[in-house]
Amino acid sequence: MDGAMVTPGRTAGLFAGAAVLRLAIFTLLPKLPDLLTGRVEISTPVTSFKRLQEGLFLYNHNVSPYDGGVYHQAPLFLPLFSLLPDFSSLPIFTYLLYTAADLLSALALWKIADSGEAGSSALFTSPRKGKRWSGFIIAALFLFNPFTVATCLGRSTSVFTTCAILHAIAKAVSGAPFGAMIALSFASYLSMYPLLLLPPLILLSYDRQRPERATKSGLKFAATCASVVAGVLAVLFQMSSLVTGSWEFLPSTYGVQLTLSDLTPNVGLWWYFFVEMFDSFRSFFLAVFWLHLASYVGGLTMRIRRQPLVVLTLLMGIFGIFKPYPSISDTSLFLALVPLYRHVFPLMRYTFVIAAVILYASFLGPAFYHLWIYAGSGNANFFYAITLVWGLGQSLLVCDLMFAVLRDEWEVERPEMVGKEIRQI
Amino acid sequence: MGQFLSFLWISIFALLAFSSPALGADYHEQLNLRPLPQSALLASFNFRSNTTVSEFEKGNFRFFPRSLGQILQHAGTRELHLRFSLGRWDAESWGARPWNGAREGGTGVELWAWLEAHADDEADRKWLTLTNALSGLFCASLNFIDGTRTTRPFMSFQPEGDHSTLTNMHLLYGVLPHEVVCTENLTPFLKLLPCKGKAGIASLLDGHKLFDASWQTMAIDVRPICSPGQECVLQIEQTIDMVLDIDRSKRPRDNPIPRSPPADQLPCDTSKPYHSHDTCFPADHTANQDWSLSQIFGKPLKGTCPLTDPAVPPVCLQVPDSRSVFVSEGAFERKNPDQVSRCYEIPPSADFEMALPKPDSSADTTTTAVVAPETPLLYAERSFTGHGQERGGVQTILRNPSPDTDVEFVYMETLPWFMRIYLHTLQARVAGDARTPNSTTDDNKLVRQVYYRPAVDRARGTQLEVRMRVPPASTVFVTYDFEKSILRYTEYPPDANRGFDVAAAVITVINPHHGEGGGEGSGDDAGGKLGRVAAYTLRTTSLLCSLPTPDFSMPYNVIIFTSTAIALAFGGVFNILVRRFVAAHEGPEGGLGVVLGRVKGRLVGLVKKGVEG
Repeated sequence: MDGAMVTPGRTAGLFAGAAVLRLAIFTLLPKLPDLLTGRVEISTPVTSFKRLQEGLFLYNHNVSPYDGGVYHQAPLFLPLFSLLPDFSSLPIFTYLLYTAADLLSALALWKIADSGEAGSSALFTSPRKGKRWSGFIIAALFLFNPFTVATCLGRSTSVFTTCAILHAIAKAVSGAPFGAMIALSFASYLSMYPLLLLPPLILLSYDRQRPERATKSGLKFAATCASVVAGVLAVLFQMSSLVTGSWEFLPSTYGVQLTLSDLTPNVGLWWYFFVEMFDSFRSFFLAVFWLHLASYVGGLTMRIRRQPLVVLTLLMGIFGIFKPYPSISDTSLFLALVPLYRHVFPLMRYTFVIAAVILYASFLGPAFYHLWIYAGSGNANFFYAITLVWGLGQSLLVCDLMFAVLRDEWEVERPEMVGKEIRQI
Repeated sequence: MGQFLSFLWISIFALLAFSSPALGADYHEQLNLRPLPQSALLASFNFRSNTTVSEFEKGNFRFFPRSLGQILQHAGTRELHLRFSLGRWDAESWGARPWNGAREGGTGVELWAWLEAHADDEADRKWLTLTNALSGLFCASLNFIDGTRTTRPFMSFQPEGDHSTLTNMHLLYGVLPHEVVCTENLTPFLKLLPCKGKAGIASLLDGHKLFDASWQTMAIDVRPICSPGQECVLQIEQTIDMVLDIDRSKRPRDNPIPRSPPADQLPCDTSKPYHSHDTCFPADHTANQDWSLSQIFGKPLKGTCPLTDPAVPPVCLQVPDSRSVFVSEGAFERKNPDQVSRCYEIPPSADFEMALPKPDSSADTTTTAVVAPETPLLYAERSFTGHGQERGGVQTILRNPSPDTDVEFVYMETLPWFMRIYLHTLQARVAGDARTPNSTTDDNKLVRQVYYRPAVDRARGTQLEVRMRVPPASTVFVTYDFEKSILRYTEYPPDANRGFDVAAAVITVINPHHGEGGGEGSGDDAGGKLGRVAAYTLRTTSLLCSLPTPDFSMPYNVIIFTSTAIALAFGGVFNILVRRFVAAHEGPEGGLGVVLGRVKGRLVGLVKKGVEG
């Protein structure tokens, strides 16, 4: 534990405050969660709570939810939510589940922050590492981030993916590689794209192994981790096929993300591009977009080898911009990890611009969507333009954070350059 | 020449009738005219012909149209129903539908058929053959009935004919709500008739009048009919029902634009106390119904079709016996014992004209002018709720007018795939009943059974069949939510902002005196068979659903802008990853200053050379 003194009372107060905020909105403003569920910025075709309810309804009435175009989420959600009391009569249990998922995410984030991995990893120790925020502040920034609260209120199932990813990282930094791999398998099972986090997560787990149980050979360690993920995923798929009675969930959940057959608008760049794409080039550009998304993993992992947590953070930001169905939930996950790098904030160059662009897009996005869909005084280009701005703002943040982290690394070699003007060649 | 031909036809017919007396009634046609309230007239044309199954299979088509027969044989179709419809039946004022709704379709084109096939794939192939062939025959876009517009109804339709076995029969149903029914569909329809449109009641049919009607539906039904002790026959029944607005029809063709009459000729209700030279309360339309055949159809009836069964009167009129009707010479009136209808025997080769004068002004009440319309078993109307192009809802209002009996029916929707419906939001509630819907599990539950096949994007439409009931003298609201999806820009029709047509909902009222399953009945005529499954059929109007549209003019711009955004992000990341950090004063010089310096040096060199040269 570092500087900021955290008493158990304050911890409990933070979590209780976050839980009360969510539950109070759920119960006191019952229309607001439904309104948020309908927002395209929060609910995407692969995370929407309304679609989950439809899938659940079909599942409980013995119609395969995957034999239709509405439900594209993981099959194991169906038995999970069937166990809860009926949403229409007793919604409080669903609210509690979502609130608990958010609190668990915050707990994992707290662990990551307290481990100090962001400031000093196994291979690199930042000279600035003393200047950092405590787990309390970082958890609070996550729990009271409006994007996180809105996602939780909108009951998007990406809440569970976020929770699984954060737990995977928390396990990895606390020296539990198997736990990390199992958590990542769950995240990948729920949303598919977290599978791309596997290489940096293996490196992170490798670096943070407990000395008494350490595997020296990196290849052997990576192979073990990969096989654990494959094994857990195989078990999850097998269970899913038992639950739904067939394998048709595969094309309907992961196939939809791969082929983008549902073009519902969202804050990402894919939907309008593929609405306007010529049919003969559709598969080509789908492949290009996916390759582009995957291409960051290798480059970042190698270049920032000494700080795997940075790679994970940057990838989170990139996924939040470039994955097929992004929502503000992905941004909230990225923004939850960014405060871990409090020590490099002074090295960032465009903080004001980034904040301004993100705020601009956050406020204008819903307004432009309204103009297009409801008022009819704007057209699709309005919303498309704002998603471009949103994407550019986030990519600016990713680039700026990356620049700051790399400059921080460089200044270890050139301590005399602190505070000097530099350039890149 | 025409006379010779008709003589030839008559002699052939006589020969046939003589040689096989059982087949004498192979063809008949009848026109039923029924004045409706509010200046409307229902004209119901019915043409029916039979051919034995053995003759049909040998290819001996007598009255059965060869073109259609060959298509049916080729596509393995055992029973066929085809509908072309336009307009809306105003049940509130016109009452129950003709034929109890069995001979009508929703707006556009509807086709359902029982095909003989061993597997679903084979049925799909035969269905494709059938729709494409019928498309050519009827000049309609039936070939657009593809996988997304085809469903296999589970409860709504039952075969009307007698089939020895139903095991290999596949029912397929397709609907094109956007199809505009017009003259090019009428011409092939008339060509299927033995007398074409040349003689008999079909001579009244004219595209200008038919498609000007307030409501019209053309139906073709082909079904096998078996009666005990006789060979099975294949029956083709062609029906045209139309509701004409009498005022509109009487407007002369050379002056079709409605103009308000001079003030002194306005039909005013003079009994009103405030009636004066400058105030006018419109008189009841019913009181002014006077028309003649040639006024409303544009031409008189050209005799009878010589092939028709002489025992069936060709023209019938349903007005109270108290009204007087004038007919042309040679026609013979026969009043039916029910006091509200009469039929006419007409001379075979002379024009027939009929005129209905205004009812006596002394007794101008509705009861004496027209036969009071029968109350339908159920009223239904369907509409969209919500606003915006993101999501919406469908609301159907079903009203049971009967004071003491339940109405049980199957409500069927076939929706396009881009309307993503949420079945968990389906609710049925009785108007004025505050209880939570669907929560009661007792016998009073409104929804009895739901058959749902969800849509698959770009492959299959939604099929929803709900068996439910409406308690006596009450109104039930059925609602559900849906989401409008955005399509690829090539999937929008040319006028994308007009919206997409959503097919009519089909409501089949189940006959209360009959158990489920449509068991084997003795069935001596089509009406009897129809009655054993569906007591009444009605269709709601079709709906127009507007989807969000992209900007069609800028695919290139979008590709360029998105690619630029991606390039900026990727370029930024790549730039930072691969380049080295140096202090500002270290490393090679670069940037604009260096380039400018070089260019300056070159220029200076050139100038010097020039000066030296």
